Amino acid sequence: MTAVLATYSIKGGVGKTTSAVNLAYEAARAGARVLVWDLDPQGAASFYLRVRPRVKGGSERLVTRGGLDRHVRGTDVPAVDLVPADFSLRHLDLHLDGTRRPTERLAALLAPLAPAYDVVLLDCPPSISLASEAVFGAAGGLVVPVVPTTLSSRTLAQLAGFLEGQPGAPQLLPHFAMVDRRKKLHRDQLEALAAAWPAFLTTVIPNASTVERMGVERAPVGAFAPASAAARAFRQLWAEMAARLWP
Amino acid sequence: MLDALAAAGFEIGPPRALRRTVVDTFDGRLHRAGLRLEVRGAGNGAEVVLDDGRSSPARAPAATAPRRAADLPAGPLRSRLGPVLDVRALVPLATVTATVRPAVRRDAEGTARVTVDVHDDLAVDGAPVGPPWAAELRAGAGYAKDAASARALLRSLGLKAGAGDVLDQALAAAGVARRGFTGSPTIALAADEPALPAFRRVLANLMLAVDANWQGTVDDVDPEFLHDLRVAVRRTRSVLAQGRRVLPADVRATYREAFGWLGGVTGPSRDLDVYGIEWDRYVGPLGPDVAADLEPVRRHIESLRSSAHAELSDVLRSERYREVTDGWRAWLAGAGPVAGAGRDAGRAIGKVAAGRIRDAQAQVLERGRGISAATPAEELHQLRKDAKKLRYLLECFGGLYAPAPRKAFVQRLKALQDNLGQHQDAEVHVAQLEEIAAGLPEGSRGPATLVALGRLSESIDRARRSARQEFAGRFRSYDTRATARSLDALLDSSP
Repeated sequence: MTAVLATYSIKGGVGKTTSAVNLAYEAARAGARVLVWDLDPQGAASFYLRVRPRVKGGSERLVTRGGLDRHVRGTDVPAVDLVPADFSLRHLDLHLDGTRRPTERLAALLAPLAPAYDVVLLDCPPSISLASEAVFGAAGGLVVPVVPTTLSSRTLAQLAGFLEGQPGAPQLLPHFAMVDRRKKLHRDQLEALAAAWPAFLTTVIPNASTVERMGVERAPVGAFAPASAAARAFRQLWAEMAARLWP
Repeated sequence: MLDALAAAGFEIGPPRALRRTVVDTFDGRLHRAGLRLEVRGAGNGAEVVLDDGRSSPARAPAATAPRRAADLPAGPLRSRLGPVLDVRALVPLATVTATVRPAVRRDAEGTARVTVDVHDDLAVDGAPVGPPWAAELRAGAGYAKDAASARALLRSLGLKAGAGDVLDQALAAAGVARRGFTGSPTIALAADEPALPAFRRVLANLMLAVDANWQGTVDDVDPEFLHDLRVAVRRTRSVLAQGRRVLPADVRATYREAFGWLGGVTGPSRDLDVYGIEWDRYVGPLGPDVAADLEPVRRHIESLRSSAHAELSDVLRSERYREVTDGWRAWLAGAGPVAGAGRDAGRAIGKVAAGRIRDAQAQVLERGRGISAATPAEELHQLRKDAKKLRYLLECFGGLYAPAPRKAFVQRLKALQDNLGQHQDAEVHVAQLEEIAAGLPEGSRGPATLVALGRLSESIDRARRSARQEFAGRFRSYDTRATARSLDALLDSSP
């Protein structure tokens, strides 16, 4: 069984790419064969994993002609491959709109690759659009990083409301990210959100300078600071997710 | 070679000691499934690496070598291994050691596109294997051109194109086979060879299975060792029984008694093993609360199982076991005329086996036709034994027949055997559960546990009743013209 997960949030700056890259690392470290598909035209996941953010022919050709396997690149993280981003992904909505079943297109592109991977992580840009619906059509789970602030929790509620009642909607896997326990607001929100949303994963990702160093090291936290609190948190987060996905 | 690689733009890393232990089940299940599992390194930094040869190898930390899939953390690696290993434990096959120097070619982003691992001092289980060094080429997905250019470079240095996988090459050079021991009871037989030597060869092949599974049973590595040892013993008893008028009467009598003893002493451990194997299937449907209440029972069964295995290990290391098996092997190894051989000893094995198979089938049909809803369970148990005798004949003398008709007939028989097996297992387990409950330690007899035991007993009894109800239909499907035709086709396939 291949678990297709998307790191997704309507809101930007909540740590989606950080979650995608570090969860990919920890999943691979714990025995998964992982494919990350960088769907964000900013290409941050491609940058972290040291792969040039370019797809030959661009997003339109990929979406319309298929052949995703030709764009898979190995990374320095053992058992983690990547389909890099491309700046043309900013037009992904338009390119999908030109296909016959746009919301099923990403799933169809991924299907031939499934036997080679245990986990596919789609790193998504912040939005709610046709591309998001295509992500919902492909993913079995949405990993939603939530900074414990009012706006973040509001967008989580928006997302849950959007998915509610949709047949085959992905499972929500929200987790707390960028948490600073010195802040009373964070502590209060952690408590309130965990009580209101039983689906929340219990592991909390701290706001840590080690995470910021990912841009300098161009590697997941676990690769350059394996004993750090952030690396331990991502390891624990993956273990928690794996126990849910492979009981 | 390293100089040439460096000149070609490869970055040479420091040497490191490499230790790769290939593990598989005793019967090579991973190998048959197209998988290779190794433990790389040792101690805290060790990891398991699962390679299917088609996708990226999966890896996970393993400070201690896993023996079962359950020893790995929850996740896809455990999920991939679990169904393949089932109840079997992983055992080490061989350890390959070397000193490795990695040579890496990176792109402008700093990502390794191709790595050539240059191995020195390659050895398998401490014994050096040639060539003195070997290279293994690894390329990331999407870097086929870089891999081709590195392969060409290696070729120019006099290495085999592609270099391949050093681990497989080293194992092959050391003569280590990964296929495992399956202990098939079927050997090649010629229909016109005399019956006595054919029986001897069949029995010698079964003794190989007894011997192969002896150590794993003594060490209690996994329940399949005892299971396979017992199956080989039962097949031996069955072939001895079928050897009337072929084998010398005194040999037959002596070893029917001896293997009967062996079957008897291995029974209690196996019954308790089956409890462990079937526990989740029995208890799972009752829900987590009942499962928790039954935990003292599970622990008690495990303790009984452990004691039974310790006793069995003593028996298998006893003087009596040694005398029986030494004597049997000596007789099997004998050649030439045999004193006291039966009057069918010189008949063609094809004719003898066909007669035995037809008789065994007639016995199954006769007994099965006499079973009604009111027939005591013991009669179903006897039918199960009859069906096993027939199955063992088909397996042990299967080399006389073409595989396709043999498989077709065995499938029909197996459908009946599965039902009889489910009924008998449940019958035995209900009775055994009463004994187990009576023997529970005082501190484990809480009211919740006793109530849960009652529910477990009911649940197993339901499985027994369901199998019993299903029997009539299963037997009707077996007792058909199609089955008769299938048997004819099987026997006609012998030249």
